[in-house]
Amino acid sequence: MPVSGFSVAGLAVLSGSRVGRALYGAAAGAVLLVAMLGCARGASVTVNTTVPSPLVNPIPVKMGVYFDDALTAYVHVEEVPDHGEYRIDLGASQVPVFERVFDAMFQDVTRLKGKALENENAAPFLDALQSSGANVDAVLAPTIEEMQFAIPAQTKGDFYEVWIKYRMKLFATDGTLIADWDLLGYGKANSDNYGSVGTQDDALGDATIWALRDAAAFLSFYFPTVDGVREWLEGRGVGA
Amino acid sequence: MSRCRFHPPLLAGALLLATALAGCVQPTIDQVRFARTGPLGDQSVVILSRKHKTQGETENDFISCVSDSVAAGDDSLSVLAERQFVDSVFPWFEPRTAPLTMDKLGEVIAEPLVGNRIRDIGVRYLVWIEGTTERTDQAGTVQCTVFTGGMPACFGFLSWEDASNYEASIWDVTEGIAVGKVTSEAVGTSFIPAVVVPIPFIARVQPEACTNLSDQIKSFLGDSEA
Repeated sequence: MPVSGFSVAGLAVLSGSRVGRALYGAAAGAVLLVAMLGCARGASVTVNTTVPSPLVNPIPVKMGVYFDDALTAYVHVEEVPDHGEYRIDLGASQVPVFERVFDAMFQDVTRLKGKALENENAAPFLDALQSSGANVDAVLAPTIEEMQFAIPAQTKGDFYEVWIKYRMKLFATDGTLIADWDLLGYGKANSDNYGSVGTQDDALGDATIWALRDAAAFLSFYFPTVDGVREWLEGRGVGA
Repeated sequence: MSRCRFHPPLLAGALLLATALAGCVQPTIDQVRFARTGPLGDQSVVILSRKHKTQGETENDFISCVSDSVAAGDDSLSVLAERQFVDSVFPWFEPRTAPLTMDKLGEVIAEPLVGNRIRDIGVRYLVWIEGTTERTDQAGTVQCTVFTGGMPACFGFLSWEDASNYEASIWDVTEGIAVGKVTSEAVGTSFIPAVVVPIPFIARVQPEACTNLSDQIKSFLGDSEA
């Protein structure tokens, strides 16, 4: 039970004895430690996770998935005024998460990896596709467009919150863009569920994991209904 | 100059006494039955928290407490862990995709993939818990001083009031119906009088609410009469 109204005041040593000085030193150290913990700043989180395999019917297409360097090395660094630097390393989770989702979503999946995609330039994945010799119907390329987070001190609420905005692009095998759309993942972690010391890393990490799960959930649910994707699937005789 | 002698046995005794003291908690419980519940057999119950709100999310430790309590005792029920369930049916019971109404649940379990998975893992009832424990009032202060010789002393009076308010909606997955609701409310005042040694009287509000809600759930699902 937290006792937030408790205060330590009037810390007094009434003697100049050796014991008193030792006690004063110990007490001062304790106060300094509490002050340091109270002023703990920033957080550094490396998210290394995956998601459960989605319960969805696989779409009967052969899909190439392109993970570019920018995605697999993604790190969000942000300075929050009065609260220090926050660093969230998302890159290591991207391939495990998307592979788990795509393996469930599509009948056949070929992984491609290469240089960062820029705008609608398909050249990097075309190179990867050619060198792999894979026979696919299309190539899906996720990129992270933006990431944001909020801590309770900013929102005056109870939650650590994370938003991940992906840009999803579906290319034909000749490099033509079939569809592109935003995929938003949102996750939160209630600060009440964490202890009072060293909570930020754990809470931000959990909020990020929930954001990844959220993005995976919405991708696996709504991919067939996205404008452009729906028409492409219908053209292949696959109803949304 | 004042000097205080340190008496470890006295202090330890006071602390022991303090742990045995508890503030007063006033519980209120209620239940509404919409439909008959059948015997659980070898099936299980899942205790879930609603996570779609941005405020007032039920504490993880409360869900764990209810799950553990429902799974304990002579009248225990088989409980599947929340995380194990949501992982098994991913992505249908995520914070933004979980069904909020019985109609939506009906649509979800009508999906063959989901219905079959729920049957495979043997889940019969979903118990959705909403609510929180909040600090509703607080007053006073306790100030502590360390005297020469290492004798700490505290003076003052501190008190606070906590209120728990939880509701559990019970859904029968097999029948696709809501079978009832149970509620558990508890209010308690904790206080710490301090004259040299602070003696806390802690009202265990949330544990009381957990125990009452768990007993209600076990009673509700253990009672197959309408």
